Amino acid sequence: MAVAPEPGEPAKGKLFKLLGIFGVENFPCARDSILYGSLGSVVAGFGHFFLLLLTSRIRSCDVGAGGFILVTLGCWFHCRYNYAKQRIQERIFREGMKNKILYESTHLDPERKQTKGNGSN
Amino acid sequence: MAHPVQLGLQDATSPIMEELIAFHDHALMIVCLISFLVLYVLSSVLMTKLTNTNITDAQEMETIWTILPAIILILIALPSLRILYLTDEINNPSFTIKSIGHQWYWTYEYTDYGGLIFNSYMLPPLFLNPGDLRLLEVDNRVVLPIEAPVRMMITSQDVLHSWTIPTLGLKTDAVPGRLNQTTFTAMRPGVYYGQCSEICGANHSFMPIVAELIPLKIFEMGPVFTL
Repeated sequence: MAVAPEPGEPAKGKLFKLLGIFGVENFPCARDSILYGSLGSVVAGFGHFFLLLLTSRIRSCDVGAGGFILVTLGCWFHCRYNYAKQRIQERIFREGMKNKILYESTHLDPERKQTKGNGSN
Repeated sequence: MAHPVQLGLQDATSPIMEELIAFHDHALMIVCLISFLVLYVLSSVLMTKLTNTNITDAQEMETIWTILPAIILILIALPSLRILYLTDEINNPSFTIKSIGHQWYWTYEYTDYGGLIFNSYMLPPLFLNPGDLRLLEVDNRVVLPIEAPVRMMITSQDVLHSWTIPTLGLKTDAVPGRLNQTTFTAMRPGVYYGQCSEICGANHSFMPIVAELIPLKIFEMGPVFTL
């Protein structure tokens, strides 16, 4: 997924790597999901601990770990769904622009077909 | 192409490879979270001071650890099957090329519009120009058009080989006595590299594949046929 910088390009800032090897910035939605998951984990863990009046720390850690998994998964699926939808829309838009440029002012012009259809209605 | 210390997949050049990368990301995230869960449970079990020698059953836990993996498997299987059937779609290819594996080079046949046949040998290091890639460059590249569905018919004349171009999401075995088919549509022009992916003898690592993808308009003018 990562593209090495070209020799002529200025060197980009060093990418952050989770655990030293996972370049999470190269994966769409990964960075946001992990950050939201971490936040969710902290909120869930501390919330459980303080709301239940300073009871078991271990149980709060369990809640924090569970919160991390659930929030990360939830953010991940939500973000990937939107990303897939966006990609499809970009592809349709690109095709539309290409067809517009290719067929403008010809009988195949999509806008001409549309206006003809509206006129006949 | 690949760059040094690369861990992930190469950038996609075909829509199928984009789908494969998306599926890879999806499965990797699920697998990473499962690993995190298992490591957490393992560390909890090892560090706890609680002991109970009278546990006889754990119905709720057993129900959870039966149903949850089933759900996870379904979440992974559905996109996987979708991509599997996507790769098998035949989308009326406009161009067919045959690729024949030999020990240790490839032969390409452009027989749709004439009888062009040529061999593709790896360039030895002594014959490389400055900037060329060692063990990846060939003397004759396979030239293909972009934004047009292309059919590759792959076979072998001696032993098993495998015709691979990672950035296009292609890997097809070249089996002697059998003709395998794969189709692809490339979206970007450029030069893309692959290597034989089935052990085939002493020089298995020295029979690369180089695909030069050019715009359809230029391809139609026939540069490939001037060899």
